[in-house]
Amino acid sequence: MATRMKLKLKTVFVLYFMVSLMGLIYALMQLGQRCDCTEHNMPKDRTISRLRGELHRFQEQLRKSEATKQPQKQPAKPTIFVITPTYARLVQKAELTRLSQTFLNVPQLHWIVVEDSPHKTPLVTDLLVKSGLTHTHLHMPTAKDRKLQEGDPSWLKPRGVEQRNEGLRWLREDRRAQPGGDNQQGVVYFADDDNTYSLQIFEEMRSTERVSVWPVGLVGGMKYERPVVEGGKVVRFHTGWRPSRPFPMDMAGFAVSLKLILANQEACFDGDAPMGFLESSLLQGLVTMDELEPKADNCSKVLVWHTRTEKPKMKREEALQAQGLGSDRAVE
Amino acid sequence: MPKRRDIVAIILIVLPWTLLITVWHQSAITPLLSTRKDDRRDGRSNSQNAFALKDSCSLQNRDIVEVVRTEYVYSRPPPWSDVLPSIHVITPTYSRPVQKAELTRLANTLLHVPNLHWILVEDSQRTTTSVVRLLQETGLNYTHLNVETPRNYKVRGDTRDPRIPRGTIQRNLALRWLRETFSINSSQSGIVYFADDDNTYSLELFDEMRSTKKVSVWPVAFVGGLRYESPKVNKLGKVYGWKTVFDPRRPFAIDMAGFAVNLRLILSKPQAYFKLRGVKGGYQESSLLKELVTLSDLEPKAANCTKVGKQGTLHVLRPPESLEIFGCHDNLFLKSINCRLTANSLRFELI
Repeated sequence: MATRMKLKLKTVFVLYFMVSLMGLIYALMQLGQRCDCTEHNMPKDRTISRLRGELHRFQEQLRKSEATKQPQKQPAKPTIFVITPTYARLVQKAELTRLSQTFLNVPQLHWIVVEDSPHKTPLVTDLLVKSGLTHTHLHMPTAKDRKLQEGDPSWLKPRGVEQRNEGLRWLREDRRAQPGGDNQQGVVYFADDDNTYSLQIFEEMRSTERVSVWPVGLVGGMKYERPVVEGGKVVRFHTGWRPSRPFPMDMAGFAVSLKLILANQEACFDGDAPMGFLESSLLQGLVTMDELEPKADNCSKVLVWHTRTEKPKMKREEALQAQGLGSDRAVE
Repeated sequence: MPKRRDIVAIILIVLPWTLLITVWHQSAITPLLSTRKDDRRDGRSNSQNAFALKDSCSLQNRDIVEVVRTEYVYSRPPPWSDVLPSIHVITPTYSRPVQKAELTRLANTLLHVPNLHWILVEDSQRTTTSVVRLLQETGLNYTHLNVETPRNYKVRGDTRDPRIPRGTIQRNLALRWLRETFSINSSQSGIVYFADDDNTYSLELFDEMRSTKKVSVWPVAFVGGLRYESPKVNKLGKVYGWKTVFDPRRPFAIDMAGFAVNLRLILSKPQAYFKLRGVKGGYQESSLLKELVTLSDLEPKAANCTKVGKQGTLHVLRPPESLEIFGCHDNLFLKSINCRLTANSLRFELI
């Protein structure tokens, strides 16, 4: 039995020795060998670690600059509440993407997107979440008789009325429940999803006390429409279409201070107003012409354009769909 | 009993070794990642570990992207990074009422892309002040060029002639500027992208194109009369055809906004330009690409140009516009037109 045990022990030791030797050889081989993993894996990780280093550097810089700024504490900027009505169509994602990219450049902006739909769509939900913006996602379907049908010209019925009113309602009621909801500092701007906004317009409108106005480009069949300013006050409007309106300007040409919106709980857009009188239907109850605050260098600069996006031509798509070979619907 | 004791002894000896080996294997990979520069690791030998590796990598990537987004939101444009390859965006533009609006929109998008160099080429005799002012106000890193398409090569009246493409001379000028400015030996990595001023670009697109080695491609929406056009990609990840309706037999049936080229490739093939004369409608892109790559060299992006369930997203969306097109001669801009290059450091005239 003793010899058997000895043998066993010997084999155990030999095994141990062999295993450790093999392990050592394996390790040495691993170190010397060039791997054949896919090319991008290594540089990607290298890049990640280098980017991390840079990020930490920048965070340090930011912290340092913030530390020096501490003694002069600046008052918080008034938030701009942008109300955008939107509806499902082929170019919706493109428009909202472009818009979100513009808004991402503006500090202290709260985007209120109101869908013309009986429920929230995943397309808009995902887009809003991915955008990284502070946002509120609402929805309000338009009544059937108020809705534009296929083939109706775009000027036939006013669009976005119910949605904008829903945005106003949220500001007046639901927002109070949110943290910071008591803060009445803010500006409300109605931004349609197909216009183009420069970044300066948001800084101009931030100082709105009641209602501020500025020129809008490419609207009303003109190069621009604008309020005419004399002596720092708006005296009339330069526009080509129905200048006799109380406020002959486009939705993108004015902003209202939040205080004024909250003080006038009944003021909203009137869907029954005649064409072009939508803006006036809201502003009439809020302000008079001489109370308007002209911005954009006494209304001499165009900082927002009423661009329209052409409907994409889908002839071939329709032809393919008739054959059952249409483009994948799941791809947005 | 001796037998059992021996077995127990063997197990007790083998167990720590197996533990050691597995632990060592896993930990051996991670320190190599952060410290090693030239060596590569065979992470695929142990499939389990490779899987964990991939997960951790993607997680790190996402973390960084998220953090970067929130940190840099209001610092525009983002600070220049020494690590990322630059993206040179070539945009031809011409004067029309919506020009300023389109350029403003595009600038607002480009402000979010790090390491971006915007090459704006105007179709005009000299640079216009409004565009100059716009560029300065954005704060982007830009180069402002201009070259006028000769009047007699603009087809009068007929603005819908598909045989003569627009913006060609301007894009060629930008390519030439790149070749003059960057030498092939420099270590600067870069990607060249042709972005028209009326399209919409998602920010992920710029992230995807940064890893282009030769030419990368992806789907484009609202072009060619379809909801989207895209390259056909086989299981090996290679492009073998084009999912379009408009002439899918083109060598490269892709829109100008659907591909990006590595700068090194542009510099290494100095004769490759967009062909001006005798180009059929839709063959513009092919006229450049066929001098640069073959179909098998194309790198599909956007998840192999296929939809991934609900995550299928399209990166370039273009509202179609009427095309004002001009006729031009081959190499005209090099020979007989007055072509003035005004760049930051470069000034010369060609006759």
